[in-house]
Amino acid sequence: MESMTQTQSDFQIGASALADRLMAGERPFVLDVRNRDEFERWRLEGRDGPLEAVNQPYFEMFDYLEGDDVVGALATYAERHLTDRLPREGEILVVCAKGDTSDLVAQALRRLGYRAVNLAGGMVAWGNFYRFALVEQGERLTLLQGQRIARGCLSYVAISRGEAVVVDPGRHLRPYEEVLRERGAKLVAVIDTHAHADHISGGPELAARLGVPYYLHPYDGIHPIDMLPAELEYDYLREGSEIGFGESKVRVLHVPGHTLGNTALVVDDRFLLTGDTIFIDSVARPDLGGQGERWAPIHYRSLRRLAELPGETVVLPGHFSKLAEADEWGIFRRELGRLRKENEGLSKLEEGEEAYIRYLLSSLPEFPEQYVEIKRVNGGLVRPDEEKASELELGKNICALAQAYQGAEGNGNPDGGDGDE
Amino acid sequence: MSDQVEIQFDLEVDARGLSCPMPVVKARQALKELEPGQVLRVVATDRGSIKDFQGWAQSASDFELLAQHEVEEEGRKLYLHYLRKTA
Repeated sequence: MESMTQTQSDFQIGASALADRLMAGERPFVLDVRNRDEFERWRLEGRDGPLEAVNQPYFEMFDYLEGDDVVGALATYAERHLTDRLPREGEILVVCAKGDTSDLVAQALRRLGYRAVNLAGGMVAWGNFYRFALVEQGERLTLLQGQRIARGCLSYVAISRGEAVVVDPGRHLRPYEEVLRERGAKLVAVIDTHAHADHISGGPELAARLGVPYYLHPYDGIHPIDMLPAELEYDYLREGSEIGFGESKVRVLHVPGHTLGNTALVVDDRFLLTGDTIFIDSVARPDLGGQGERWAPIHYRSLRRLAELPGETVVLPGHFSKLAEADEWGIFRRELGRLRKENEGLSKLEEGEEAYIRYLLSSLPEFPEQYVEIKRVNGGLVRPDEEKASELELGKNICALAQAYQGAEGNGNPDGGDGDE
Repeated sequence: MSDQVEIQFDLEVDARGLSCPMPVVKARQALKELEPGQVLRVVATDRGSIKDFQGWAQSASDFELLAQHEVEEEGRKLYLHYLRKTA
């Protein structure tokens, strides 16, 4: 691999290229030089779970620092303390928070003959990377799934005859603005299926910037724990509301349970944007509003209602838990009929309300403490700067029941248990 | 961040505008100049330095982290780290 013609850029991999490789099932070995708690909270995952990794915080690697030779000091440290922990063959992907320190560590490893590559922009760039997958390109309707890979957040852009609706956008607006421009589409509405707890919505800002209505169900205009009304402008979604764009339309189903104002959206009677109700492997948890026991029965009834829609309905969820949930086209989608058999959270509906509520409440993963604050942000009650916003959003969403995160032998995955909020 | 009591220091490292890993590198170099018991103040603008100095202090055997302060300077945040050399 090493040759005179290789430049520094040959040793950088960007978020987009990494996403492609991970989706394709590659599993590069990772040297993660962030803090231990940051590593434990959030690490790189391949299709089936966390990548094999060594965590060696960079700040412990300067014991041999002489003068200003940072790379030399890192190389000496690696030679004396890391060689028995790193694979001699194959590629080592070096990662840190922002991609600068890991670049120096990768340079040091290459001096020792390792095939070390830097994740450009680090975990921040990885966490903020979005890509769009084409779900449908028909004469009347074009539907794209916006995938924020690192966080497991999915959003949608639906376009008909040049008019577009954006559903559940993440807080970075540029990816959506670029898609709209590329497709020559004019935005007519932004919809949040519910008030999100795991990520900051880009909905209000995107709608304001392009001068279109922002829709939310009014029950989600109240912070469930603070009991304070949102300080933002929005139009009301309600059961049966229809929002037209071009020759297509979005029909609103009010399906409370994950939140009180939770909705699912039917696009042209074929696609079901489930938001946080039905995911591919699991269903949404009922406790992020701090009222799990009270909301579980409502959640059960909402899930039942959705499960009874026609089997050929295409489910497009608001989250995924593992890359492996994507289909062969790299899209997170399934026919509802198939999910009724394969999705544990749906198949268990048959056991009846009482058993189902027990199932829901015994399957709750940890309650990330920042989720209460994120809901404040999404209600306009708190306005964080970029660094604070980025910190709040750190890590993968935990919106599904605990089962969704299993199957990786507990390799740094949320392990459930202490729902102490 | 801990209480904002004025802390005396013997040496200061200016890491304003420097990104990771330079605040730690500069601090590592400066610690060599100090005698045990003396205090180093690191002035950084990189917010990531807060957690990094905490993590570093936990594993390092030659200094302790006395305090970390957050202050405003000309509209930007400064992160002040106070390290006392112990060995």
